[in-house]
Amino acid sequence: MRNRAGLVLALVLAAVVLASLALGDSALRPVEVLQAMLGRGDALNRTIVWDLRLPRTLVGIAVGAGLAASGVTMQAFFRNPLASPGLLGVSAGGALGAVAVLALGLAGGFLAVPAAAIAGAFVATGAVMVLARRGASPGHLLLSGVALNAFFGAGTSFLLALSAGRFEVSGQILFWLMGGIENRTWEHVAIGLPGVLVGCALLLPLGRAMNLLSLGDASAQSLGVDVRRLRWQLIALSTVLTALATAVGGMVGFVGLLVPHLLRLAFGPDHRRLLPLSMIGGAAFVLLCDLPTRFVPGGLRLGVITALIGGPFLLWMLRRNPC
Amino acid sequence: MRRLLLLLLLPALLRAAGPLRVVSQTVGTDELLVALADPGQIAALSNLARDPAFTPHVAANAGFPCLRTGGAEDILRFRPDLVLAATYTAPETLALLRRAKVELLVLDRFETLEDLYDSARRVGAALGRPERAEALIAGWRARIGALDRRLRAVPRVRVLSVGLYPFTAGAGTTFQDLCDHAGAVNVAAEQGLRGHQPTPSEKLLEWNVEVLVTEQGPGMRRKLAGTPPYKFMEALRRGRVVELPGALLSATSQARIEAYEALARALHPEAFR
Amino acid sequence: MLSAEGLTLGTRLRDVSLALSGGRGIALVGPNGAGKSTLLQVLAGLLQARGRILWNGRELSAIPYLERGRTLAWLGQESHADFAFPVREVVAQGRHAWGDDGHGVDEAMEALDIRHLAARPITELSGGERRRVYLARALATGAPLQLWDEPAANLDVRHVLEVLRLAQRLAAAGSTLVVSLHDLRTAFRFDEVLVMDQGRLVGHGAPEAVLTPELIASVFQVKAMPGKGLALELP
Repeated sequence: MRNRAGLVLALVLAAVVLASLALGDSALRPVEVLQAMLGRGDALNRTIVWDLRLPRTLVGIAVGAGLAASGVTMQAFFRNPLASPGLLGVSAGGALGAVAVLALGLAGGFLAVPAAAIAGAFVATGAVMVLARRGASPGHLLLSGVALNAFFGAGTSFLLALSAGRFEVSGQILFWLMGGIENRTWEHVAIGLPGVLVGCALLLPLGRAMNLLSLGDASAQSLGVDVRRLRWQLIALSTVLTALATAVGGMVGFVGLLVPHLLRLAFGPDHRRLLPLSMIGGAAFVLLCDLPTRFVPGGLRLGVITALIGGPFLLWMLRRNPC
Repeated sequence: MRRLLLLLLLPALLRAAGPLRVVSQTVGTDELLVALADPGQIAALSNLARDPAFTPHVAANAGFPCLRTGGAEDILRFRPDLVLAATYTAPETLALLRRAKVELLVLDRFETLEDLYDSARRVGAALGRPERAEALIAGWRARIGALDRRLRAVPRVRVLSVGLYPFTAGAGTTFQDLCDHAGAVNVAAEQGLRGHQPTPSEKLLEWNVEVLVTEQGPGMRRKLAGTPPYKFMEALRRGRVVELPGALLSATSQARIEAYEALARALHPEAFR
Repeated sequence: MLSAEGLTLGTRLRDVSLALSGGRGIALVGPNGAGKSTLLQVLAGLLQARGRILWNGRELSAIPYLERGRTLAWLGQESHADFAFPVREVVAQGRHAWGDDGHGVDEAMEALDIRHLAARPITELSGGERRRVYLARALATGAPLQLWDEPAANLDVRHVLEVLRLAQRLAAAGSTLVVSLHDLRTAFRFDEVLVMDQGRLVGHGAPEAVLTPELIASVFQVKAMPGKGLALELP
């Protein structure tokens, strides 16, 4: 089973991708999806598949793979299976950027939101990387993450309060904050997917070294790992992945925590396997959680679903493993 | 210019091509669409069209299909030729609809009556029914004129917009427009507030407010009586509260005229005897 | 093979200089806080101190990390584990600097008597068992310089003796081992002994020559009873 894990997960992802292309306000049969993909068949179906569902699916893949890969990396970096991408304040920075554009009504078309989210996330990323470059310990970085989360969170709350009187704007802000991938365009794909794919590709070869790091800095270094450089690489990649995923998907929680943890329990902590499995698993998980949102209008957003699944799961994990 | 030309040509083109299919994405455009279109032209109304909290005339909308979420895919399944939307519709939705080669009419001004007439003309032209739009506008002008005549000699009442959350509406809001046409003075605007603002709890008690205007709801007066800072107001203690249906209070379509009339009747009953 | 000059790190190491040749087992003793762990970490390149360290004439700090992984192996005092790697995988990590070729992994596990634990997750082992796993990992590196910080801690008597025998075997085969210990009697089984007190190196040489009653009394504040096979009691 372990050796086939990758294959099984890839098949699951393929099935979920097909579902993501077929299901929605108008349900398409698989053969219709195939026809639309090949540029044949009903014109409306082609529009739906190519302009609406395909970008949405690809953004979902970027969000899921990016957050899960970032989660694995955070967990190796902090040597703690409960670490998650949001710890360092990067997604909070992204949220502030996006909310600022929505609340202040800044111009720039619909791409202003993800662009501002990237800007905000990279400000946070920059702060984290400066600290990491100076060799700050994981504990220090955690505390700075607490501070950044608080700071950006306060800014976001302030902007939300400013917009409270305007129904449509506050609604858009809340929806963004709850995470979601509907109405995603090819521009969103261009913003999110290439960066996530490159980031994931750069992470994969670091798996060996991450194994050693997860059992101790000093021993890893004595075994031949340039620990300081590795830590910087991990932080840089993890924050960039989180920033891109947040920019195109909003605040989607628990993917970075749940998916790596479940896969680690099932297939072991070897990062050479865990990284690729988490990327595939994360993508499948996000797309799966996105499916119900197409049928229940209103409050059931992607971030709500991942939290509904993730929260109780985290409690269960803590019960099983009190340390 | 090109757009104007296209809009003028559209009715001719469409009469040749067949019936137009129109989807309305917002509550405001629902009202205009139902008033101006042939029933066969209406493909779908907004996702709030059957919600009495937002739609003044739910019964009138009952015969038409509705959107479920208001998103691009939701709209496209009705295969529309034209979609009526507003500037507060999600920009991604508008972009995706344009990409799907659907004609869009985006309304961008909702404050005054002139804005309403302009929107009606634009929708009427897009539907190929410009004469119907003019007829409607004439009827609205008549009602407004009649209302103005009734209220001409009447002293204006000082009012404040209140609710269960301590927010009020100042200048430049739909409520301001309502006051202007119902013989009322919006005290919040007089005191310098613009847009929707939190109510200044202490200054409030110094304002001379004669009547509170709020959204209709079960036990509203009782709830207001328990909500600071309103509970301390003289007007509330004397029971001078006017309740209007929420859908009317926030209407930007022609339903606003009904709102003018409703508030005017409540504030100036003597003018309507 | 390994020489150090003027190693200084605040008050933890004061001007320590030493020269060690290959094929020697060296015990490192001293009271708590003397700087034994610090010295081992500095020699392993894990802590930066003033002074120079030369390995076979090359500056240690100039050797790239990966090559250092082939050159030296370090066993720390901590035997913590946060992730449930199977024991065999942990020991195999010792071959990281050799490209994970798997050489010597089984032999290392055999030497530390952990063959039977190969498939167990390391998080499930006792402290002493985890120590042996990490020691096997250090052994698996095949590095000619082995720096072990209190390898005997938490091990029962039989395993302590096996570790000592392992150290002697490695030294005989040409490696340089520096092993820090608390038990002075064990130090006598080594070729050389380094004595540290308050950051300074106060003795270096054959155990009989260095561990005199006077030195033991002044450094450790215990009275040594005369005769071979050192018996100790409180003064």
